[in-house]
Amino acid sequence: MAVKEELLAQLHEVASNPRKQLDSYLAQGKKVVAVAPVYTPMELIHSMGLVPMGVWGADVEINEAKKYFPAFICSIMQTILELGIKGEYDGVSAIVIPSLCDSLKAIGQNWKYAVKDIPFIPMTYPQNRKPEYGIKFTKAGYERVINDLTIATGQHYSEFALAESNKIYNEHNAVMREFAEVAATAELTAAERSDVYKSAWFMLPEEHTEIVKKLIEELKQGPKAEGKVRVLVSGILADSPSLLNIFDENGIKVVFDDVAAESRQYRTDVPEMENPLDALAHKFADMDNCTLLYDPKKSRVEYIIEQAKNHNADGVIVLMTKFCDPEEFDYVPIKRACEAAGIPHLNIEVDRQMVNYEQAKTMIQAFKEMF
Amino acid sequence: MYILGIDIGSTTSKAVIMNDKKEIVASSIVVATVGTDGVSLALEEVLNQSGLNASDISCTVATGYGRQTYEGADYQVSELSCHALGVNYIFPDARTVIDIGGQDAKVLSLNESGRMVNFIMNDKCAAGTGRFLDVMANILKLDISELESEARKAAKPASISSTCTVFAESEVISQLAAGTSIPDLVAGICQSVATRVASQAKRIGVKERVCMSGGVAKNGGVRDALSKELGVEIAYSDKAQLMGALGAALYAFDKINK
Repeated sequence: MAVKEELLAQLHEVASNPRKQLDSYLAQGKKVVAVAPVYTPMELIHSMGLVPMGVWGADVEINEAKKYFPAFICSIMQTILELGIKGEYDGVSAIVIPSLCDSLKAIGQNWKYAVKDIPFIPMTYPQNRKPEYGIKFTKAGYERVINDLTIATGQHYSEFALAESNKIYNEHNAVMREFAEVAATAELTAAERSDVYKSAWFMLPEEHTEIVKKLIEELKQGPKAEGKVRVLVSGILADSPSLLNIFDENGIKVVFDDVAAESRQYRTDVPEMENPLDALAHKFADMDNCTLLYDPKKSRVEYIIEQAKNHNADGVIVLMTKFCDPEEFDYVPIKRACEAAGIPHLNIEVDRQMVNYEQAKTMIQAFKEMF
Repeated sequence: MYILGIDIGSTTSKAVIMNDKKEIVASSIVVATVGTDGVSLALEEVLNQSGLNASDISCTVATGYGRQTYEGADYQVSELSCHALGVNYIFPDARTVIDIGGQDAKVLSLNESGRMVNFIMNDKCAAGTGRFLDVMANILKLDISELESEARKAAKPASISSTCTVFAESEVISQLAAGTSIPDLVAGICQSVATRVASQAKRIGVKERVCMSGGVAKNGGVRDALSKELGVEIAYSDKAQLMGALGAALYAFDKINK
């Protein structure tokens, strides 16, 4: 097997089997902390000698979680709880759930009652993250997380370790940003691209960085994608293998993304500051262009158009997570901005419960046929 | 040279044969769909009408839900692109196409050259589709073809507030129990489809000339209600249900004349 294929196979194995990855870390004597969407201070968890592992739910049938949630709530939240109740996260020392949307607030409350064995640690972010008082609020939230993590895991915080972890995550961010650019032109399927992002949630950043660095070198030397319809994909999640296969079958090439579980994670670095916890709070303040980060100017809309143009995207595909109110509110200005810029766009509703992809298949095929 | 377009929809199978002058030689509509013998019946009928053999067909293009599983096709194209081509053939000045089929409703925007530049499609819901009308006709013990004439007799169209087929069914039953007349109910049902589809059309932008295609276009009650709802005239052809198959045939024509 060629090096590129070997690296992709390695990442695919991790992306498609997070339980195996969790068991492997536990077998090494490491303690693992689950991190819920969308922005959790992973640097902090990592610095305390813990392994942060992302939990974004899965494409599974929802039964148990229905006791706690109404039907009209985001299926990412529902399946996180479902997996928690069914013991899929057994062995995890705690779960950190941030408060960035109403559904995330609800899952924290439900988790306490439904999954008693895994302590729930809330990370309460401020609505106004940029002013000095907002940064102080974020820092206070991180201090609470440190305290709760110490209680749950017995691990301790040190400024020195956090400074080191901040550097490790910054390097990972840089590598993932470079990957996004290289992947825009390289011969790489939508499913393979997704594996690179998804596997990052289940690996220590230093391990993932090394693999992605090697992959970037292989992609740089390898063949370039030709004759494809180039798209920018936006949404919360874009990891459904069935949906990504439809992209690939129709010659749709993802040249950039504005996906919460993908590139949105890697846009902002921790700044250099004397106190690494202050620096981490400033990182959150510096973050922008995301549905879940308060922005009355909706600069995200312009960002999407700018990135679509920068990456010569032929169109924009929005993968709209069903019942995600913030994303639905943002869609209207995105649609209008695409129309004003003359960029064809497509909105496909997705959720963790999709079984039949016929409608999506027809829409994607028709979208491709427009070019 | 003859070319064949087959539209294997959720409720019906349609076929169109064209000659090398882009003229329709034969067409058929069979009420049977994917997984049934509907496709072969439609094909048989169209060959019989034209007096051709399958070997006379130079190129076959399939569209509709069953396009990917139909083995006799040289190409498969989405029904959206085919309806755009079909409508452009009949109404070259059409800029908005409202296609209501058995299972879904789509609105297409066409540019000056008749090319599809944008579209919107309902998702996972039967409201505002032919299936909705089927269910309602069934409750009222009417044939689907009778809906138009019943709607025209309405004195005071009933209000069907729900856009959900399941809830609307119980609403219609309640109204029947309350003594609402069948024509008033049918007019309300047509209005309900029109309201639903009009809101979809407004999302994409309605540009005249507006044309309806798909099986539901045959229902004048829905056409009239939609026309009122959008405030525009709706162009209609008796080939409305064949637009997908016609577009598939046109695609085949382009393929072999490239």
